[in-house]
Amino acid sequence: MTHSAAQTPMVRADGVVKSYGSNTVLRGIDLEVQPGEVVCLIGASGSGKSTFLRCINHLETIDGGQLAVDGHLVGYNRKGNKLYEQTEKEVCQTRAEIGMVFQQFNLFPHMTVLENLLEAPRIVRKKRTAEIKPLALKLLDQVGLADKANAYPRQLSGGQQQRVAIARALCMEPKLMLFDEPTSALDPELVGEVLKAMKDLAATGMTMVVVTHEMGFARDVADRIAFMHEGVIVELGPAADVIAHPQHERTRAFLSSVR
Amino acid sequence: MSNDNTAELVVVRSKHFGRWIAIIVIAVLAVLLLRSVFTNPRFGWETVALFFRDTAIINGIGVTLFLTVVSMVIGIVLGIIVAVMRVSTNPIISGAASLYQLFFRGTPVLVQLLFWFNLAALYPSISFGIPGIDLNANEIITPMTAAILGLGLNESAYMSEIVRAGILSVDRGQTDAASGLGMNRIQTMRRIILPQAMRVIIPPTGNEVIGMLKATSLVSVIAVPELLYSAQIIYSKNLQIIPLLIVASLWYIIITTVLGIGQSFLERRFARGSGHHAPPSFADQFRRAFRMHATEVNGKKL
Repeated sequence: MTHSAAQTPMVRADGVVKSYGSNTVLRGIDLEVQPGEVVCLIGASGSGKSTFLRCINHLETIDGGQLAVDGHLVGYNRKGNKLYEQTEKEVCQTRAEIGMVFQQFNLFPHMTVLENLLEAPRIVRKKRTAEIKPLALKLLDQVGLADKANAYPRQLSGGQQQRVAIARALCMEPKLMLFDEPTSALDPELVGEVLKAMKDLAATGMTMVVVTHEMGFARDVADRIAFMHEGVIVELGPAADVIAHPQHERTRAFLSSVR
Repeated sequence: MSNDNTAELVVVRSKHFGRWIAIIVIAVLAVLLLRSVFTNPRFGWETVALFFRDTAIINGIGVTLFLTVVSMVIGIVLGIIVAVMRVSTNPIISGAASLYQLFFRGTPVLVQLLFWFNLAALYPSISFGIPGIDLNANEIITPMTAAILGLGLNESAYMSEIVRAGILSVDRGQTDAASGLGMNRIQTMRRIILPQAMRVIIPPTGNEVIGMLKATSLVSVIAVPELLYSAQIIYSKNLQIIPLLIVASLWYIIITTVLGIGQSFLERRFARGSGHHAPPSFADQFRRAFRMHATEVNGKKL
């Protein structure tokens, strides 16, 4: 994807640093994700890719650098050369615009599938059920679960739950979707259905940042791949190039281990 | 091999001799106990029958139920607030909640009741530090308000620990998911965390209600005419101590039984979507105990 000066990047990370006590897990992440682009973050466990993803919607605070989504700083307001921490309300507004899908699905088990989708639009966006229900049903249909609207999450397979989680995030009409190892908790035969739902979503032009171990998905769907190692992005490039001709020895070692 | 056709095999149930021996031993003991209960005239069953529906007793039950309900409502509402404070990331707020728990759980509820009853000795006039407000403590702190404050505040400290355990039982990912969708902390707590915590909170809360019903008898020491004190007033006149204590006990058993039924109903209600089933009834357990093998082999209800 070519970079046009007029376009505001959907995600812009400048030297993002994150540490837990003395343990620094992100050591300066620089990354720009353009609108409509799909970027896959790959790397060994502990390389900081999930942490970085959680920083993008401020589920984790950052200790250095800057993160902006759609031109707005995440978690801070800048006045002059000072950064003011945002109020909870402002943080929630930012998060409402960013969908997130988790490794463990995290559906609300006390609600039906449909209620899972309607909850946030009703509570956060103050929409009435009648306003949002057509979209919710359409999204369930898109992920192939129109007949499960009244089921409880426990009654669904892992793959079905994860597709509901994708629909739930989309029901907030986000401008950016984050996926945190969405297929890692699934039985192998269920991975395909979730990847297909994500592929369909990418085809609609959604901006997506995906932490994944699915190299096939990364190669087929991602525009670019970022390989992370020990808290930094050591290699970033078009998906096919990174997978076929990794430049960095760490990338080569990682790719040969997951193949 | 004489028979290879498994469909013709007959299941021979275990005999469970131990269970039959237990039945005989317990039946003998029960007969001995019942015989003594009905032949010992000092139980005074006529007196029990006479006072069982006495107006003073019925009024006492009303006061007991009122105290139980009001104290539990105060206990649950304050308990939720204290629990949410305890899990706060603000150290001052969680510390204050801890101190509250330390004070109310660290002193006997009987002592607390006496303290509230004698509050006027400590603060003859109550102003809450607000100029213009001057309330006479002797008028406000009646035995009834002392009882409600004592039982309710003490209960809130215990309820807060129950609620906190419930909150902590909810998977961390639920908070992530709710936050990720843009819900604030209060919305997350009210819509996502607390409804799921209920499954963990309800059973011990049922125990607390039953405990509270019985704890209300403590307020007899500050002359609140609840069930026990009403019985005491009667036996202080007619000296039929045992029959009237039996009257009070029978009523406590009846009410706790009814509350227990309500509790199992609530547990079923909040088990929604969790995949856990409410515990089997006693009758189910009994049936299974004596027909266990046949049930499990056939895989269907007998």
